[in-house]
Amino acid sequence: MSWFDALTEGSARAIARRTSRRSFLGSLGSMLMGASVLPLLPIARGASAAENPTPDGKSPNANDPNACEYWRHCGIDGFLCGCCGGSTSSCPPGTEMSAITWVGTCHNPDDGRMYVVSYNDCCGKSACGRCLCNRNERDTPLYIPFQSNDYDWCSGSSEANIAYHCSTSRIVGVAN
Amino acid sequence: MAKRRISVPVLYAALAGIGGLWLCETAVAFEPSVNYMLQCMGCHTPDGSGAAGRVPSIRSTLLPFSAVAAGRQFLVQVPGASQSTLSNAELADLLNWMIENLTNGPRGVAFNRFTAAEVASYRQKPLVEVRGTRERLLDATGIEK
Repeated sequence: MSWFDALTEGSARAIARRTSRRSFLGSLGSMLMGASVLPLLPIARGASAAENPTPDGKSPNANDPNACEYWRHCGIDGFLCGCCGGSTSSCPPGTEMSAITWVGTCHNPDDGRMYVVSYNDCCGKSACGRCLCNRNERDTPLYIPFQSNDYDWCSGSSEANIAYHCSTSRIVGVAN
Repeated sequence: MAKRRISVPVLYAALAGIGGLWLCETAVAFEPSVNYMLQCMGCHTPDGSGAAGRVPSIRSTLLPFSAVAAGRQFLVQVPGASQSTLSNAELADLLNWMIENLTNGPRGVAFNRFTAAEVASYRQKPLVEVRGTRERLLDATGIEK
């Protein structure tokens, strides 16, 4: 086994000659640092991204009216009526559209124009619970109540139908 | 170093200028008809008739109120108008548009138009008693409730 002892001694001495005593700490440190920085590289984020844009550069949900990313929902705060038996502009059966509402504008990426969108709530049944969407473009704080989407606008609907069910995004005009 | 001392404030000024331009760009000015939709229509409904018992109709009150000083003050000082995000000029244009387009009866009736200066003079004074002031104006102008 003397050859094995000689080999071990030789390689240990070779390592001791080549490296300093603290080089292990240094290399371990840079390895840990490198491992922690690796996920920040763009290549890693690109591979793990859930949504890859379509060839025209838009999110795959941009054309789905029942997706929160759809342009008309840019100021909505509630359940999308399209997921609750109604549509983007109509209430599900058994509910009533509140006459009083809040109005904002949304930019349509397809024709580049601003549209006036009225976010009428549908009232009279308990909360739908599907497709919650909370986007707050042009939404104002509660102390400017006329343009705040945090209100339950069902309190302005007729009779006692004050239960909130879902929200619509009705286009009522072109802003520019 | 002297050169650098000059260039840094210039850089800040340029950045501030770009920021100012961006602010101007985002504060889009709309036509009065669009401002009506954005600021008023949510409650007053598209034709101004409101919701009975909750939101008063403005269709029979705008024109008579605009003919008396107290009425003009009221139209500017109601919370939805005075506290809106519109400038005085935009609010004046909007009120004029509403009187012209949301009033019962024939179109094109002459009225005393609002100006930005007049709106500015009323707007800073808060209207504490909205409903009571409106009732008194209805009595004074002889409009049916």
